[in-house]
Parts: sequence; structure tokens; C-alpha cells
Amino acid sequence: MNRRTLLRGLSSIALLASASAALAHHGTLIAYDRTKAWTRDATVTGFHFANPHPQLFFDLKNADGTVEHWGAELLPNPAALIRNGWTRARSEQALKPGTPVTVTIAPPRAGGMVGLLMKITDKDGTELLKDDGVPPPPDNSLSAEPQPAKP
Amino acid sequence: MTRMPRARHVAAVVAAAASRAVVVALAAIVAAGAVAQPPPNAARGGPGYPKVYDPNMPFEPKDIAGIWTPNGAGYGGGGRCRDCGDRGFSLEFPELTAAGKAAFDANIPSYGRAKDSDDAKAHPEEHIGRRRAQAPALGNDPYQSCNPMGMPRAILYPDPVEFLVLNDRILQHFEWGYGLRTIWMDGRRLPKPEEIDLPRWWGYAVGRWDGNTLVVTSTGHDSRTWVDHFGYPHSDQMVLEERYTRINYDTIELKMVLTDPEYYAKPWVAQTKRMHLIPQTFIQSSGWSGLLEDLCAPADEVDTFNRLIRDPAGTGKPAAPPKR
Repeated sequence: MNRRTLLRGLSSIALLASASAALAHHGTLIAYDRTKAWTRDATVTGFHFANPHPQLFFDLKNADGTVEHWGAELLPNPAALIRNGWTRARSEQALKPGTPVTVTIAPPRAGGMVGLLMKITDKDGTELLKDDGVPPPPDNSLSAEPQPAKP
Repeated sequence: MTRMPRARHVAAVVAAAASRAVVVALAAIVAAGAVAQPPPNAARGGPGYPKVYDPNMPFEPKDIAGIWTPNGAGYGGGGRCRDCGDRGFSLEFPELTAAGKAAFDANIPSYGRAKDSDDAKAHPEEHIGRRRAQAPALGNDPYQSCNPMGMPRAILYPDPVEFLVLNDRILQHFEWGYGLRTIWMDGRRLPKPEEIDLPRWWGYAVGRWDGNTLVVTSTGHDSRTWVDHFGYPHSDQMVLEERYTRINYDTIELKMVLTDPEYYAKPWVAQTKRMHLIPQTFIQSSGWSGLLEDLCAPADEVDTFNRLIRDPAGTGKPAAPPKR
């Protein structure tokens, strides 16, 4: 076995062993440093349910009374949110401007008031926009009515 | 609002299935019946993909109509299923020509291990194409602006593709970008790359059956698309061969070879990929089933996203004002 063959073999094993690591190398993640994530209370100022990634805009109020205007992208795309029951209507309802939330943000490596939204909870502690990677059970009734929001 | 009677829905699906059964074997009738009534959720959560069907059910090898997905959760971006192969074209090291190397260096991807990072340095066994990612704002991935992925990148993307089989062609309808690719099965000759005046984002493709394998040969691919998200380039001289084999009820295996003498010194063989069958009822939104219209549209929404979020994130500079 020559060196390259050996290296390729090891590479295959490494890739098989780290299937979940594929997500860790998503293009969205290159710009942000998740090891420096922070959590703060925030007030929603806007939400875009749009491809390629939805965006949340929010304000942070500092102790000295100053307000910072932030924006963050979500890792799930709209299809993933839909898959998890977070339809556009439900998402926009949960994130109307003025809504108090708690956000966990991975800041950009380059600095600035933008980030990657790691987690968002409402004032009751319920996690919003959660992407658990699990598809909802199928509904084969093909109703013309909107599906009920999932709990 | 009125709810569509379940009996009518089932009748419609069964009728559609029956029309297919005219042209396929008896085994496919059984299969089509299964398409009409996917098993309950208890059948989900198989080994790394949404296992809706029993892969051991009888099937017609040449019946490839339906929605096939390499996505671990079925759809919605994210990761490919464990047995589907990764999002790169190949694990083999490509042998680039001088022109190919220049094109490779000009492409700056945002996928893979971060350029010059400890993570990248720790994996010399991987080709450098997988270890040179930069923030989207610093890269030039055509996907960053939601341009068509083209082939083979589109078939590597972890979202479903529906195969629509007509008498004279097979259409591949990709959920991401709602892109449509035509594979002509009418016996026409594929032009030589040098005969093509106007390359296409989805290329020019013909198909034929080699036993139970659908062999698709294509060329005339617009060189602005990338081979995969690692930024491997192709010229408009690329000829791509794809071999699709349905190996069991719910699995298609795909083998590919990329030949591009302008950019690659020898044909580049892809990692074997797989995709799995899901019923169209698996994908639901607003009580409607079938592929999502997964577009980046209108285009200015993408521009806004890049301007407000991704560009500042990559550069550290405040968001630029709108262009208009």
C-alpha cells in the first residue's frame, strides 16, 4: 500500500466516522465562531422567512441605556423550518416586532453586530424555530386547510 | 374550507399508479400501491435516512420515477444521509492541468475546513480543495447568489430530486432552486463539446439504458458552475457520465466520471452516491404535498441577506446601503 492509498483509506474512515461533522463545515459556519457564543435578552425588530437562510433582526439594550441593532442568520433554511413545523405564518407570528426573546449568538470572526442564531427562546422559555433534524409525521389526508401548528 | 375526502385522494393516487402499471411489470403494481399508502411514522428513523419503504419489496429496476433524496431528514438542506456519500464529488485527488489549477485557485469556496485553520492543517489526507474555505463574503461561490448549481453539483446537494419519466425524455426536477434538467432519451446524438456554441447552466444531456442502469452523458455545461461546493472547476469541455442503478426498492446508486481534458489530466471518478425514495406526501406545506418551491426569490432578497448579514460577518464592516 503506497502512502497516498493509505491516506485515502484513512480519509474514508475519518469521513465515515464524522458524518455529523459535515454540518460543522457548512458555508454558514465558516464566518462565525461558535466557541464564543453568548446569550442575551433581546427585542425582535424584524424577521425574514427567506432563502437561502432566514434572518432575525433584534435590539440589545445595554446597562448604560444604549441600544445595539443586530442581525443574525439562521442555520436552518425555510424548508428545514417547514419540515419541523415552523411554517412562515407560525414563525412570523412568534417573532413579531417588539417580541421579547432570549438569543444565543455566535459572533462573526471579523467582528460587527451580526451573527449566527444558535438558539432563540420566548419569554416562557419555549425554544422557537427549533430544527431537530427530524421530519414530522406524514399527513396523507391532503387537506386544503392549513395544518394546525405543532406544539 | 372543505377537506378533500380521503377516499377521493386515495382513488386519485391509485389511478395515477395504475396508469404507470400499464408500462411496467407486475411487481411495479405492488410497488405503486405502496407509493399510494406510505406506512405510518413508525417506519421512520431507519439507518441514516427517512426509511419510509421496506427496501426488500419487489421493484422494477427501470422504474426510476419518483422523488429520491440523499438528505438524512428527507429534505430541508443540512446533511446527507450516512450511506449517501458526502457533498463532495470525489475523495480521490484530482489531477489538474495548468489551466485547471488556475481555475481551481480562482474559485474561493465557503464549504470545507477553514483555510489555514488548525482543523485544515490536521487533515493533510484530504485534498486541499476540502481545506480552503473562507467566509461567504470573501468567497466567490456562485451559489452565494443562488445561481443555478448545474451538474454535478445539483445532484450532490442534500435535497430531493424528482425523476419525471416521459416517453422521450427524463426530467430531473431539483427541489433546491426548483431547477429542471432534461435528459433526452429519444436517441439523439450528444454534440461534441466543441460543437456547442452556447453552454447551458444545466448542460446538454442524453440517456440510454445499459441493462438496468440509466447512463446519462452530458456536456455543454456553463463553466461558471462548480463541480461541487468545494469549488472544483470544470471547463465547458467537460463531459460527465452518470450511471443510475436502482439497487433495491428505495435506493438508487449513482456512479459518475468527469472527463475534462482542459482542466483535468485524467478522468476523475466520483465517490459512489446514493439517494432514497420518499413518497411525495413526505414533503408537506400548507396541507399541500410534493416538492417545495425552494427558490431564492425575489433575487433582491438574496442581495439583502448578503448585504445585511453575510458581508458584514465576513468583513467586519457595517452593512452597505441598498444599491438602488
